[in-house]
Amino acid sequence: MSGPQGGSDRPVAPPLDPVEVAAATLASLPDMTHPRLRALVARGGGPVGALAGLERGLASAVLCEGTPPAELAARQSLARAWQMAARGDRIPRTLVSRGTRVYVAGRPGYPLDEDLPDRPEVLLAEGDRPDALDRPRVGVVGTRAATPNGLDDARELGAAMARAGVTVVSGLAIGIDGAVHEGALDAGGSVIGVVATGLDVVYPRRHRILFDRVRASGLVMSELAYGMQPRQYAFPVRNRIIAGLSQVAVVVEATLKGGARITAEHAIDYGRTVLAYPGSRRNPASAGTNQLIYDGATVVLDPDDVLVALGIAGTGARPDQRALPLGDQAAVLEACHGEPATLDQLASRTRLTPSSVVSAVRVLERDGWMERSRGLCWPR
Amino acid sequence: MLAAVRSATLIGVDGQPVTVEVHVSSGLPAYQVVGLPDAAVRESRERVRAAVLSSGLEWPQRRITVNLAPGGVRKTGSGLELAVALGVLGANDALPAGVLDGVAVLGELGLDGSVRPVPGTLALVDALARAGVTAVVVPLANACEAELVGDVRVRAARTLGELRACLKGEEPWPDWDPPVAPPDDAAAVGMLDDEMVDLADVRGLPFARQALEVAASGGHHVLFCGPPGTGKTMLARRLGTILPPLSHPEALEVTRIHSAAGVPMSGQLVRRRPFRAPHHTASTAALVGGGSGRARPGEITLAHRGILFLDELGEFAPTALDALRQPLEERAVRISRQGVSLTFPAAFQLVACSNPCPCGSGGNECRCSDVQRERYRRRLSAPLLDRFDLRVRVDAPESDDEGGEPSAEVAARVAVAYERQHARYADWPWSQNAHVAAGAVPRLLPLGPDADAVWRELIADRQLTGRGATRIRRVARTLADLDDSAGITAAHLETAAGMRGDVP
Repeated sequence: MSGPQGGSDRPVAPPLDPVEVAAATLASLPDMTHPRLRALVARGGGPVGALAGLERGLASAVLCEGTPPAELAARQSLARAWQMAARGDRIPRTLVSRGTRVYVAGRPGYPLDEDLPDRPEVLLAEGDRPDALDRPRVGVVGTRAATPNGLDDARELGAAMARAGVTVVSGLAIGIDGAVHEGALDAGGSVIGVVATGLDVVYPRRHRILFDRVRASGLVMSELAYGMQPRQYAFPVRNRIIAGLSQVAVVVEATLKGGARITAEHAIDYGRTVLAYPGSRRNPASAGTNQLIYDGATVVLDPDDVLVALGIAGTGARPDQRALPLGDQAAVLEACHGEPATLDQLASRTRLTPSSVVSAVRVLERDGWMERSRGLCWPR
Repeated sequence: MLAAVRSATLIGVDGQPVTVEVHVSSGLPAYQVVGLPDAAVRESRERVRAAVLSSGLEWPQRRITVNLAPGGVRKTGSGLELAVALGVLGANDALPAGVLDGVAVLGELGLDGSVRPVPGTLALVDALARAGVTAVVVPLANACEAELVGDVRVRAARTLGELRACLKGEEPWPDWDPPVAPPDDAAAVGMLDDEMVDLADVRGLPFARQALEVAASGGHHVLFCGPPGTGKTMLARRLGTILPPLSHPEALEVTRIHSAAGVPMSGQLVRRRPFRAPHHTASTAALVGGGSGRARPGEITLAHRGILFLDELGEFAPTALDALRQPLEERAVRISRQGVSLTFPAAFQLVACSNPCPCGSGGNECRCSDVQRERYRRRLSAPLLDRFDLRVRVDAPESDDEGGEPSAEVAARVAVAYERQHARYADWPWSQNAHVAAGAVPRLLPLGPDADAVWRELIADRQLTGRGATRIRRVARTLADLDDSAGITAAHLETAAGMRGDVP
């Protein structure tokens, strides 16, 4: 992601657009929030006007209006900090050196609907495939504490979207987010990762390689300034962008409370179709999705259901290629009752000897009916 | 003016014969001990002097030099005091010449001249007997223990004065009572009472029970992993009830170690396999041995020929657990101290329990994030996990499960499998499947005709290391021994692979 001089094969970056520079500068002011940025831009009559207005008291007007007297001093010093920060030329230099794209609300190319109530005024993006925004976009979210089955579902969904030419939008987090990105990337699809930090921060750290892959096959986007470290409050705020960028939102696994539910609620507010994967009542990672379905979300029984919701014809469910389990294998699979089970439980329920259970599980595993993980047998 | 008395000191858990030489010469009254004595031996000077005087004997007001030979070995503890006192008496002509020829003397002295017991009597007497001593004088309380050695004459001593009289033939040697403790003193080996625990108490869990039986038969290390309260600990504690009792040489060996380590003894051979269950706050030194000052045997040595049970494996300090790796391979632990390098035997069977993740459920109901689970898993290093031949996930039994076979029935099968292995490995330095050297596995543990395909599948599995496949083959051999099968069948291999789950 080096600057325009970084590679000869890359098109030379166009000269910086003053509106984009102004918008990025405003977004990078200390303690900036999206309501403040909105108010600044609205009052200044656009980013350029707002930036110029900072020196003329716009900063303290936006920050101090209606502030209780106790906080007034702090707000005023923040306003002075804004004025100081706005004078520097750090932002344009960063934009050039990192090849950042700036999407400003109200200008062509801005990827969100203009009428969303709390849309970001500015979105910064880095990545080699800005055309990821031009395709149908589906937001896929889920819990970080996903089960092996949930991760499989996410990977499968990512791959199905990639094959259908749909861009997957997610949050690059551990768990479902990471799995759906991987699934899409492995199938050669394009992806958008919306992060809750500055674009130069990699969080979580162990997704470093995934971040690089997303940049190479899509975009990493953020409304936050460079250098912003992860903050707990920033993640739910970020989720509205995922919802806003997507035409439909899919929740693979979610706990009752959590970021995935917040994304789904934003998507409902924005009038998007929300889809959810059903799961066992006893699986806490399915409690959130089951509740969504109860509340009226569309059930996903197959990745094609998502394509149907997007208005893209499904590819048609492929017939199950797996060999049908027979005899002991059928009994063992049946004894799982669709839940992960220990070999002990399977032996107790089927009244088979331990060694016949093990043999049956091996065959089931080979034929794709079962997966062994964490010492348990997971039916698929 | 010179007298020499034979005695012995402990080095680690082994005895080392020592000759106590006492020289009394003219000169200013002085009393000196040379020959690498430790603090306790040097301290004994005053005790020896007081004991001689209290016994109504004369303390020579001359220059006394005590030498402990061989000079290069550090002498520890207070067990040499009686020998020093007799040496002083001999050098002062207070004992008839020749009464101590071929006799070794062990004992600590009280200020009143009484003879007190010393730890490690069995190890000391054993070493002396090997060095050609024909009779030993030991404290009365240690007499039973000393007799266990067998081919040496044991004499008991109550006080220094009485001992001198006996040596001079003026009084008969005191008798001692045979041990009164019950034949299987549970407390002596730190094990649960047999009457209380039995495998029949465990409901359901057919797979885990079979794993326990395999562990007992083949000497495989076993890890039980599962939610709290599902019976992991209950199972693990019952391993001792299905293991065969110690053979006589093993019993001598274990008794010697326990005696040297100061484990309370009844003066009888330890017949039951040791069961040591250190708490998870145990330090590395407590676990593997060592410590500051005199290196002491750790829990793994006390568990020699028995079971080391680590409950809540993940809660142990990672450094302490990693220190187990070398003893697990070599079945002994080397402790190096300034000047000395000790080897403690540590042929123990490791049984461990662990939760699958911080919340404990590990399955569908698990509420832990990937990060939490990963962090929990990382507490147990992969090389340590690799050393468990059997890794079994245990969950609560089904509601309609019934109690299983009693320990006695399982123990009978285990004993048969044991004998089969002993016969097979008669010409080899090991006696159990778990210890077959990797190089000898293909030759000694041949596969049956139908097992080749499964074996090739296992080898091809990228998740499995070559060592892991070998471990599975050893477990398969134990399953075959339990089935009285000449070759390893495909079912044995598959079951063995199933018993090596990817837990926690």
